[in-house]
Amino acid sequence: MSGLKQAGIPHHELPATRRDFLAKAGAGFGSLALTYLLGGKTLSADEAAAAVNPLAPKKGHYAGKAKSVIFLFMEGGPSALDTFDPKPKLNELAGKPLPGSFGPVITAMGEYGAPLMASKRTWKQHGQSGIWVSDWLPHTASVIDDIAVIRSCIADGINHSGGVCQMNTGSVLAGRPSLGSWVTYGLGSENQNLPAFVVMQDNPTQVINGTRNWGAGFMPAVYQGTRLQNGPDPIPNLMTPKNVGDERQKAKLDFLNDMNRKHMATHDQSELDARILSYELAFRMQAEAPGVVDLEKETEATKDLYGMNDKVTSEFGRMCLMSRRLVERGVRFVQLYSGAGSKWDAHSGLEKNHSGLCASMDKPIAGLIKDLKSRGLLDSTLVVWGGEFGRTPMSEKGDGRDHNPYGFTMWMAGGGVKGGQVIGETDEIGLHAVKDRLHVHDIHATILHLLGVDHARLTYMHKGRPERATINEGEIYKKISG
Amino acid sequence: MCATGSLPLAARVIAQRLPALATMANGLRRCPWHTLVTAALFVTCGLRAEDAVPDAEKLKFFEQKVRPLLIDNCLKCHNEKKQKANLRMETLAGFLKGGDTGPAIVPGKPAESLLVKAVSYKDEDLFMPPKDKLTGDGGKMAAEDIATLTEWVQMGAPWTEGSSLAGEHKRRHITEADKKFWSFVPVKDAPPPAVTDAWVKNDIDKFIFAKLKAEEIAPSPEAEKAALIRRATYDLHGLPPTPEEVDAFVADTSPDAYEKLVDRLLASPRYGERWGRHWLDLVRFAESDGFKQDAFRPNAWPYRDYVIKAFNDDKPYDRFVTEQLAGDEIAPDDPDVLVATSYLRQSMYEYNQRDVPKQWSEYLNDITDVTGDVFLGLGMGCARCHDHKFDPILQSDYFQLQAFFSGILPRNDMVLATPKQKEEHAAKMKIWEEKTADIRAEIAAIEKPFLDRVAKPALSKFPPETREMIEKPADKRSPYECQIAELAYRQVTEEQRQIDGKIKGADREKWTAAKRKLAEFDDVKPKPLPPAFIATDVGPVGPPAIIPGDKKKRTFEPGFLTILGAEVPQISALPNSTGRRTALAKWITRPDNPLAARVMVNRIWQYHFGRGIASNTSDFGKLGEKPTHPELLDYLAANFVKNGWSIKKIHRLMMTSATYRQSGVQPTPAVAKLKDPDNRWLWRMTTRRLDAEQIRDAMLAVSGELSLDAGGPSVDFIAPRRGVFTKALRNTRDPFNEAFDGADGITTTPSRSTTTTPTQSLLLINGGWPLQRAENFAARLRNMKVKDNEQLVTQAYRLAFGRMPDAAERAAALKFLTRKSSETAPGAEPGGVMLSDKIVTEAMPHRGSQAIHVRNGNPEDMLRAADTPALPSEDFTVEAVVQLDSIYDDAKVRVIASQWSGNQAHTGWSFGVTSEKSKHEPRNLILQLVGKESYEVIPSDLRVELNKTFYLAVSVKLADTSAAGITFFLRDLTDPDAPLRTANVPHKTTGGYHSKLPLTIGGRDGHGWDGLIDEVRLSKAALTKEQILLNDPDLKTNVVADWRFDENPGVLKDSAGYQPDLTRGGPGKPQPPKANDNFLIDFCHVLLNANEFLYVE
Repeated sequence: MSGLKQAGIPHHELPATRRDFLAKAGAGFGSLALTYLLGGKTLSADEAAAAVNPLAPKKGHYAGKAKSVIFLFMEGGPSALDTFDPKPKLNELAGKPLPGSFGPVITAMGEYGAPLMASKRTWKQHGQSGIWVSDWLPHTASVIDDIAVIRSCIADGINHSGGVCQMNTGSVLAGRPSLGSWVTYGLGSENQNLPAFVVMQDNPTQVINGTRNWGAGFMPAVYQGTRLQNGPDPIPNLMTPKNVGDERQKAKLDFLNDMNRKHMATHDQSELDARILSYELAFRMQAEAPGVVDLEKETEATKDLYGMNDKVTSEFGRMCLMSRRLVERGVRFVQLYSGAGSKWDAHSGLEKNHSGLCASMDKPIAGLIKDLKSRGLLDSTLVVWGGEFGRTPMSEKGDGRDHNPYGFTMWMAGGGVKGGQVIGETDEIGLHAVKDRLHVHDIHATILHLLGVDHARLTYMHKGRPERATINEGEIYKKISG
Repeated sequence: MCATGSLPLAARVIAQRLPALATMANGLRRCPWHTLVTAALFVTCGLRAEDAVPDAEKLKFFEQKVRPLLIDNCLKCHNEKKQKANLRMETLAGFLKGGDTGPAIVPGKPAESLLVKAVSYKDEDLFMPPKDKLTGDGGKMAAEDIATLTEWVQMGAPWTEGSSLAGEHKRRHITEADKKFWSFVPVKDAPPPAVTDAWVKNDIDKFIFAKLKAEEIAPSPEAEKAALIRRATYDLHGLPPTPEEVDAFVADTSPDAYEKLVDRLLASPRYGERWGRHWLDLVRFAESDGFKQDAFRPNAWPYRDYVIKAFNDDKPYDRFVTEQLAGDEIAPDDPDVLVATSYLRQSMYEYNQRDVPKQWSEYLNDITDVTGDVFLGLGMGCARCHDHKFDPILQSDYFQLQAFFSGILPRNDMVLATPKQKEEHAAKMKIWEEKTADIRAEIAAIEKPFLDRVAKPALSKFPPETREMIEKPADKRSPYECQIAELAYRQVTEEQRQIDGKIKGADREKWTAAKRKLAEFDDVKPKPLPPAFIATDVGPVGPPAIIPGDKKKRTFEPGFLTILGAEVPQISALPNSTGRRTALAKWITRPDNPLAARVMVNRIWQYHFGRGIASNTSDFGKLGEKPTHPELLDYLAANFVKNGWSIKKIHRLMMTSATYRQSGVQPTPAVAKLKDPDNRWLWRMTTRRLDAEQIRDAMLAVSGELSLDAGGPSVDFIAPRRGVFTKALRNTRDPFNEAFDGADGITTTPSRSTTTTPTQSLLLINGGWPLQRAENFAARLRNMKVKDNEQLVTQAYRLAFGRMPDAAERAAALKFLTRKSSETAPGAEPGGVMLSDKIVTEAMPHRGSQAIHVRNGNPEDMLRAADTPALPSEDFTVEAVVQLDSIYDDAKVRVIASQWSGNQAHTGWSFGVTSEKSKHEPRNLILQLVGKESYEVIPSDLRVELNKTFYLAVSVKLADTSAAGITFFLRDLTDPDAPLRTANVPHKTTGGYHSKLPLTIGGRDGHGWDGLIDEVRLSKAALTKEQILLNDPDLKTNVVADWRFDENPGVLKDSAGYQPDLTRGGPGKPQPPKANDNFLIDFCHVLLNANEFLYVE
């Protein structure tokens, strides 16, 4: 099972079970099947797990530098004009209506008539690369040489629901698998005792669209993301209920195992086998996951680096540190929501809103980059930053900005990305991307590419159509690797 | 590698074989193309008889017959962008110029034309078009198509001057081959194969059997009755059968017991709840908007109830389809039909989307897609942006289908009521209105400025074009503008609805007072009629369908699929509706529509057998798998239509087949597994995992909590009602739905996945909800007031698995329930007798093997084995190697092994040694035997000495009541020369002594051994001297159990064949101890986690 299947092959399906696998593999498939057929020995637990487990690690289409992704999702839409995309012209034109030359746009709140609003930020060039970063992000600025800033992102959703849906699934309409699901479908996971695709959020408010943001859409549920919660029970139902206790639990599981094995002896159907293994997997997960979320073993210096000792940054810092621990253990795709529940959505009071949110995530993110780098993990970890869209140069309610999917900034670092570069441009006021425009599909194609997955060849057959993560679109922006 | 990759080589070979052609090609290559054409025409001139055919006819032949063939078969690889073998085939020049191997055609000379040779598949080096391994497309063309091309060359290759096929390969043309594709040809109502076999029960089986026979696979025998009722009940009701239902079915020995069962199940309202859920999956039913707000749709449930009722009533499928597509057109006054058009409301909807035209276009796309999927089994989605690449579905087909719906308007202002109800309501309303006219006018006057104030900015949020549509007088709007304006204006109304907080100051006081005054008339105000969540057309004229952003600005009127004849729909407008959807429904449900019936019977088959006859039930196109039994599919489809589209009749037909009734376990599966591991030929029933609702409902059913209240507004997940009645929210799915591959309500779900994930296991074993079900299950068992733990286990098995436990299972369960645990909660009744931690073992002197040490009759040291049918009930022999340390002061017995309570009124046996005051003298080896009517003590008068290792045994031949009937054996093992002593004693008991109590070793209640017991061997025969342990230690025949108490295989394990291990603890009372409550909960929880619970055979 080396490598991914070619595009367009109908019914790209993984063998659901050990027996399916063996049946499909046939005699020519090598030692695994042969051993089984000769009856010489039964499969080892690992072999069996690999055969029945759709999350077993798989090779990409080609070698990609990135092995894992940490997607830092600023939910609600951060303003590019006040973070990474300085627009002197905007400040010049501030207070005036949008000049007709910039073309009509539909905005969520319909504030096209509103006057342009200046950015109140002070801007400086940072690092060797001299990339401009606003004073809201001093820590990110300190690692700017590791970052490729993409100022020319575009998306289709003018509302949060469609926007977040598209940034996660490629489509503004619900129903498709999220990028994390595609990645785990394509590459499996390096760690079978943890979920392959983990999601965290900085506050308990529901992320727009709820769990379907990390849902598997039309793919089997096995590829869906798992939300890791703060506290002793990070994954729902992970721990043995307190009123049961370990001894009873063990007795139950042993008894269940005996019962299932007896049942399987007469009902020799593959899935039954897989379910017995799934209990074993579940309990390996139970053993490993609490250790991952236990940050006590980290040094004070590390915690400081992530801002965990400061109330402002402690929550996002914890999530960032956890992300490092997860990718360190082979988790494939980690997604962190900053401002869960559209908190970045500054229709009014941009200053207060963004200064608070920037402060909450700036140091943790810079800490993450530094920590990954110092541990030699940055090369194999792709860090992606952005929201579902950016914000308009036009004001809303006097001191806010409306949604802008026509031109906004995201950035990537690590995982084969050449840092210290700026990609693309928006127009003079930052309304439309005008150069090297990267649509969400292009961004997804590029992320997959960095992982060694060709977005055109990674397909899943659904309703008779070979579906792709990028919906038959998307171009890889190869220059991101320098 | 693609098959075309071999072309260059093949072409080279041909070039070598045909040097003349190659030379000619080289020569021609230097000519400008127009010269070529002239030359080609010149070559043909005057040479062929076809000259007689006028040019116009030839060109028509080219245009109508040849052009589509070239486009479909050649252009994909030989076009302006891609030139396999350097050959381009979009112009005549391309053909004449040829490629690497020379000209493709020699006009007028088919025999010399490579094209003709290639398509004829005569030269294996040159097969064109090649078969596309990916899609199965291509391959040898149909004979008549080859003939057409040959004739075309023969004719001199007529070509419309200046015409190029460039780019046309991107367009789909419907070919003859397309029309012959299995799903598009008319349904063949052919008789089943003539098969006679005892296995065959109905016509379905003939198809299945014929195929199996051809594959040399044997079908499986009929499943056991308990398995059959479980399967049928889960299939039709989504619930397990109750133990009483199982009993009744098993007890019913009438020849039509099974048919009666199917009828009973079909007649129950539970049937519609299960099968309605399948339909709801297909139409992506959910009760929330699915966007940011994910607003609940409180009026969506009547459609759910409509679907359930339709299945329960066996509403003919053609009617069912028609009502959903066009209920408002065919019966606008019947609320029971009108509700069906809720089908048109199942799309997600973003209430505040400012880009209204875009959202409307997506809404219509969604309906088009789902209609294609559900009713036609065709994935139309591809054709939204271009002609379908694999299937004969044109982009125009897509939008012509959409045009049937492009006139609809989602309605929020209608009610589900009869004209009479509406009339009555209106009459009452009128009274209220009259009485409140002044107050309402007052309120309206106060509100007006505020409403206006809200409306203005709300309107300004739309782009100018949308605003224009809203501002236009209604009678000036086009139907499309009506739709957009109406939908957009709902956003304004929505904001106005929240006026409450906006009225301030003195106005507010006046407003509140007026509202209060209005409320005084509430008792006169009739209750609102049930709101309808449906759609109707915007009017008698509907807009055409359009492609958003289409540069050509094409418009599409309703039209049927080209592949199915492209006949022009007969649409008659109604006073308030276009009549389009009625026409669509009529076409879909026409008896000769090859898709509708096939698609539906195939779905029914899928839900019964786990896989459709065509396995992709919503994709009857080329990428879907072809049917495994196409003739059967047609037979069923034809039968379906003939039987008035009755779904229940199809269920009955399928379920009464031997195919369906097969066991899930094939007795000799080796061949079948090798030939057909996926069970595509149905040589057994596939064991299937329950789906999300089934697991949930079954847990509630087993725990005794399930409420069978049907219908009405949806309830929360935690309510103990069937899953189909719980709220289906799009953004927040319930844990079972999410973990067990439930339908997401976002896109159509034609079949549920059945994944196996650790998340599921965590949910079931650690989740609070399943644990609560286990607790309630345990409580239910307690309340059954069963006699003992055995009955407890039996009832639990019956409820959870629909069958009795076997002896080994019962024993394992009893062991689990009464085990010793440090976690036994204080105050909880302990399971069995309290035991110390260790079994005391010692080496047996003079034998060297390990023995258990029973300390002066201490029950903790005794061992027990649950009763199984394997234990003797006829002749038997008990043997043991022992050392006795002491005897009792009184008349009690030092018991070695026993299966008896000690009560003379209970049957059983007990083997031991008498004590001080026994009337049979001390240290006498005795057997106590209690039959149904007799109690007897059979003394051997063989004396056991203390502190010495002895072999001792009793061999019982029940029928022989003479002295030869019972033989005792005794031998002192400390003395190698000691003789084997025997004693023969007569007896009275001739049978019926068996007890269901556990067999115990080392004592029974109050009568225990003192000392070592090394080996106990139990046989279900009266062993002879030659067979006894001393002479034949490895005897297998008739040995039931051989407990040696050695480390290997384990102190509590038997070396012979008695499967359950021994457990610790004495015999207990006649009523074994009550299970520990927690352990009972755990036991119930394990049953609910077991594969046997989660899978149905």
